[in-house]
Amino acid sequence: MFRRSFMAGLALAFFLPSTALAAPASAEMVTMLKTIDDRTTNSGDYKSLVYIERKERDKSDLVYQAVVYRRDELDKLVIMFLKPQTEAGKGYLRVDNNLFVYDPTVGKWERRTERERIGGTDSQRSDFDQSNLAQEYVPTYVGEETLGKYAVHHLKLTATATADVAWPFVELWLDKATGNVLKRQDFSASSKLMRTTYYPEWQKLYSASKEADVYFAKEIRIYDEVEKGNQTTVVIQSVDLASLDDAIFTKAWLESKSR
Amino acid sequence: MIAQLRLLLLVAFRSLWAHRVKSGIVGSILFFGTLLLVAGTSLLDSVSASMERSITGSLTGQIQVYDKNARDDLALFGGMSMGSTDLGEMPEFAKVEKELTAIEGVKAVVPMGVVNAMVMSGNELDLMLDRLRTAHRSGDREGLAQTKAQILGVAANIKEELGYRQAITSDKAKAAEEAAALEDVLSEAFWARLDTDPDGLLAFLDTRLAPLATDGRMYYLRLAGTDLGQFMEVFDRARIVEGTAIPQGKRGVLISHRTYEKLLKNKVAREFDAIKKARDEEGRLIATDNLLADQVARNARQYQRLLFQLDPGPARELTTRLQRYLGSQEADLGKLLQSFLALDDQSFDERYDWFYKEIGPHIRLHDLTVGDVITLRGFTQSGYLKSVNVRVYGTYEFTGLEKADIGTAINLTDLVTFRELYGKMTDAQRAELADIRTSVGVKEVSRESAEDALFGGGAAEAPVTEAVATGFDEFAGVEIARYADGPVLDERTYNAEEMRSGLALNAAVVLDDPTTMPAVKTLIEGQADKLGIQAVDWVSAAGMLGQLMVVVRIVLYVAVSIIFLVALVIINNTMVMATMDRIGEIGTMRAIGAQRSFVMGMFLLETLALGIVAGGAGAAAGVGLIEYLNRVGLPATGADIMVLIFSGPRLYPTWGLSNVGLGLGIIVLVSLIATFYPALLAARVSPRVALSGKE
Repeated sequence: MFRRSFMAGLALAFFLPSTALAAPASAEMVTMLKTIDDRTTNSGDYKSLVYIERKERDKSDLVYQAVVYRRDELDKLVIMFLKPQTEAGKGYLRVDNNLFVYDPTVGKWERRTERERIGGTDSQRSDFDQSNLAQEYVPTYVGEETLGKYAVHHLKLTATATADVAWPFVELWLDKATGNVLKRQDFSASSKLMRTTYYPEWQKLYSASKEADVYFAKEIRIYDEVEKGNQTTVVIQSVDLASLDDAIFTKAWLESKSR
Repeated sequence: MIAQLRLLLLVAFRSLWAHRVKSGIVGSILFFGTLLLVAGTSLLDSVSASMERSITGSLTGQIQVYDKNARDDLALFGGMSMGSTDLGEMPEFAKVEKELTAIEGVKAVVPMGVVNAMVMSGNELDLMLDRLRTAHRSGDREGLAQTKAQILGVAANIKEELGYRQAITSDKAKAAEEAAALEDVLSEAFWARLDTDPDGLLAFLDTRLAPLATDGRMYYLRLAGTDLGQFMEVFDRARIVEGTAIPQGKRGVLISHRTYEKLLKNKVAREFDAIKKARDEEGRLIATDNLLADQVARNARQYQRLLFQLDPGPARELTTRLQRYLGSQEADLGKLLQSFLALDDQSFDERYDWFYKEIGPHIRLHDLTVGDVITLRGFTQSGYLKSVNVRVYGTYEFTGLEKADIGTAINLTDLVTFRELYGKMTDAQRAELADIRTSVGVKEVSRESAEDALFGGGAAEAPVTEAVATGFDEFAGVEIARYADGPVLDERTYNAEEMRSGLALNAAVVLDDPTTMPAVKTLIEGQADKLGIQAVDWVSAAGMLGQLMVVVRIVLYVAVSIIFLVALVIINNTMVMATMDRIGEIGTMRAIGAQRSFVMGMFLLETLALGIVAGGAGAAAGVGLIEYLNRVGLPATGADIMVLIFSGPRLYPTWGLSNVGLGLGIIVLVSLIATFYPALLAARVSPRVALSGKE
């Protein structure tokens, strides 16, 4: 009897997916998310020069160069397009949960939602901003997998009731070795896959104000899963963590650049 | 021969007289058959002709030309394609115009191009904050005070609404934050910051108060860019309803009047209009029609759409006037408005007038109002978003299509605005993009191979690298265009040459004589390759409206054919019975020496005479009916589709000789055929059998 039970237990242990045995506790998963949030957040300011390219089937490519200013402690963000010339001066301002877009050619601000496609590309505000996953989502574990040559944790996140986020459901693939996000999939409220994002390269830069490294994805590849064939690539060309002028995070500043 | 014919005629008319009751019945049937045919075909032709005039006189002209390599079909009134259509381009309209106007019979060639644009109405507070910002910037103290009073009024309303929301929300912390923000805004101390910290005050209002107001709406406008001066001259069905036409050389928009009234109007006003239409045009009553009663109840619940738009001054005045009008002591304007909107059949007409006289002038009746400067936004061909500020000069409608959603879904703009929103990429822009792309050097990775390419064996380095801290000047080598202070209205003017020398997507070819359309189309097709264009007729160019017209025409023809077929069967049966009834008489005639041919001839002559007399009278009556309808007009009662079919509120039908000839000819022919066979049978009966009365 004992022998038969032992053998059955052995067989069960053998055939059960390894994830069932290795699944991290909920608190551990929240810690993983907090690690991502902490790494990408700077206690001081953040400035980056970004290149955004969108490819859409049967259409001309969209290309932008933009500057991103962040003051994470105050939840403020500015994205200002610098190139091409026709787009220079247009930009976004995020303050708390408000996202505004400005077009100097008509001198108007408009309020936008979290779903806003930045400059008509597949990228969204959250792709340029600090990460806030631990507060906005509740994680569950899907399993341990491999992504290319990397071993990854596969997590499924559900937005909390009060979170103002673009996507109610998100799946993340976190590099086991570094804890960084390598792949992300965003789902609509009806669980339809909307976009897949890859973060093939992460970089870190020492922040004196934070007294720790600030992480940022050097390259972001976003694939539209609804309009197949459409894709957007974001490249962070340079990052500077020096403190920024307070005036930058106001509507008046963005307006002043084109007046 | 003549004597025999004379005899036949005598016998035939005497026989008709002898069987005058029967002749009367058969004659009546032939009379009504002809009347039906003449009036029916006249109505059909009139409907077809008026629909054709409505469509060709509105937007299509008789022929449309566009790029021969277009991927999609031209559908000016909307097609089956859900997305944007690719009609190709006519890069140099002037060249096409020159060649086409040289063709005999071509009256005008009107350049066109359709684009889709978005217009955001903005939430109420965002709009007020824009005004506050502008007033502050320009030092307009009066404007500041007025806008501040408006913002306080809206804040007070939101505070009241928030009380209800707080009771049911699960996020108490957020509700408390919102309540605190409102308390701040409603305090005098807060507004004192307008002098000391205006940017901080504006930012607070932008980020803490404005999100509490209802979101603004986004409208999608389908815009046809054209030479508006030529357009209004050539297309006689287009007429300005409100405002003015766009002055020559100016830029602007004319909104379809139906869109203005059905889409852009304040919801309460729109419902008022809908209830009035249901009562006046459809004969429905609030008391007896449950759907209408529900509509009235729903409208009363929309009172906040009025309340939130009223400035404090007008709100106080309206409270007093409503108290007086309703005989109420209620001090709460919201409750007074709800009482006012509790309509019944007795009070409706009076309150409808009162609404437009007393409330209408104090609210924003339309989200986009005639005279407004609006921002049109659209994704250009180059992929970038383009925004243009233009004035709404007025509303327009196409006579005959004014009640058809399909016929009113298009708005008009000038050709220059169209070209900006269409936004063809220039070579210089293309080169600039290539430079930017080259400077970064991003490799292309397809979706299918992404995981292998990005995380596969080729990637040897660790996924985290140390970045080098280098300061950078983001504005080095960047040129940002400078614009005037505040919202910029594009007041640039343009001349006729500038307009015609550029791009158009399609063009309407209007003819001197519409009946020459097939011949002129053939001549245009002869030039098509040289000009790189293709030509389509107006039915095809009208898209869904053209298809609808074809369907309506088929349905009407089928309906008239069915009615006519039933009439034919009746005529046939009547003639057969009338002939068979006279077998005894035929036997007598045969017994006294009448040949079969004589009998046959007599019957056919009788029918011919009856057909000509009764049919002629029927045709005259049909003509009379059409003439009468032409004078009084046939009303398009009931559904709006009737207005589209009649091309207006009334159809004024006309008749032609072809209708009379066709009607009379068919009736006489059918009668003769219906007589021939039974007469042949009767003539074959032997006199003995006929006289025996057994057959």
